Amino acid sequence: MEGRPAEDAVLVERAQHGDTEAYGELVRRYQALATRTAYVITGLSTEAEDAAQDGFTKAYFALGRFRSGAPFRPWLLRIVANEAKNRRKAAGRRPTVDLSVAEDRPSGDTALSPEEAALASERRTFVLGALGKLREEDRLVIAYRYFMQLSEAEMAHALGVARGTVKSRLSRAIGRLREITAGEVRADA
Amino acid sequence: MPERLDDRELERTLSDIGTRLDGPKRDMWPAVRARIAERRAQPWWSRPGFDGRTLAPIAATLAVILVAAFLLTPTFADALDHLLSIPGVQIFRVSTTPTPMPTTGAYVSFPGQRAASVAEASRLAGFPVREPAALGAADEIYVELAPVRVTLVYRTREGLPVTALPGISALIVEFKGSLDAPILGKAIGPGTTLEAVPLSSGNAAYWLAGQPHQFFYRDSTGNIQPDTLRLAGNTLLWDAGGITYRLEAQVSREEAVRIASSFR
Repeated sequence: MEGRPAEDAVLVERAQHGDTEAYGELVRRYQALATRTAYVITGLSTEAEDAAQDGFTKAYFALGRFRSGAPFRPWLLRIVANEAKNRRKAAGRRPTVDLSVAEDRPSGDTALSPEEAALASERRTFVLGALGKLREEDRLVIAYRYFMQLSEAEMAHALGVARGTVKSRLSRAIGRLREITAGEVRADA
Repeated sequence: MPERLDDRELERTLSDIGTRLDGPKRDMWPAVRARIAERRAQPWWSRPGFDGRTLAPIAATLAVILVAAFLLTPTFADALDHLLSIPGVQIFRVSTTPTPMPTTGAYVSFPGQRAASVAEASRLAGFPVREPAALGAADEIYVELAPVRVTLVYRTREGLPVTALPGISALIVEFKGSLDAPILGKAIGPGTTLEAVPLSSGNAAYWLAGQPHQFFYRDSTGNIQPDTLRLAGNTLLWDAGGITYRLEAQVSREEAVRIASSFR
């Protein structure tokens, strides 16, 4: 089928048989996802890119042990996330991270008035601040669900937990995030 | 500071953040490709990420070889001269060959499941297993599944001297190799010669002769194991149709090429 992008499984198999360019296609396909995952953990964009690149390299050499038929995306994210966690641990970083997002990008919601847009921006900064205070595991589960839109099955793979555990982890993480945001509203009120 | 966020607003804000998270500024593949090439240039048993502590417990005799090999690792790293890579195999020139382990016992056993025929071995392995017409049907065929590896055993053949293994004239190992996930490694010492020889099919083969050389392989858990309780003798290695073949027999280079060219 010309023009249609190859399935992950096809690219993985080609890469397993020595076709490095097939792996290159997977890197391009998932570099944004991998970098964002690492960023949520490290909080530093340069380090996130470096961790993503190392994650891709490690994943490449682990392809021989990749179970055929398994989804590639969460398998990759798990390797990238581990890489990012190890870097953070090795650097002995403080428990909180500073997260920020591009504010100069036009909003997807064009119906927002300037006032509403300003409010939305303020909310983003506020929630990012709260996210930065969460534990690494809580941030990651929230990021997989809301930033990367992973399915529950993919989240289970990426986090290395049973599928039933994903829901409880996510609701616990959201609960903690809510506590922090509520606490700050009260503290600042 | 904004008003207290309700659950819906919190979720909407999280999704909004997701669409604004920055990705990498440029194509990451060239940098990743460079890292892969750099790491590939290192012998796989000394690559970062390999953890010697995870080695599975093995028989004491095997452990002796293994420890010797690991003690030599820094020397390997200095003296290694990466000679060639054919799919699934890496060969390194080392300054010292690990001390040969004497093989004891009259009958050598092989790992894996014994297959009744080439057809059954092919079905188990998932690729067509081939035999050389020059040697005829193998006496025994063993199939290992993780990683997939087929061993053809030729107990005795007229005109073929027995090898260092009692009662065995030739061994053929077939596996699906990949350039980047080697499952077989060889360390060859100063007494071993290595040369490229053409097969009648036009494929290049590599002939290792002289001093025995050590084989390593990666088992299903990713650990490195010495291949079997032996050091290989004269060996021909080649690749055809994505399958890597290894023939071991105490024969001349010409005879090995003749056997390899007779695969059907």
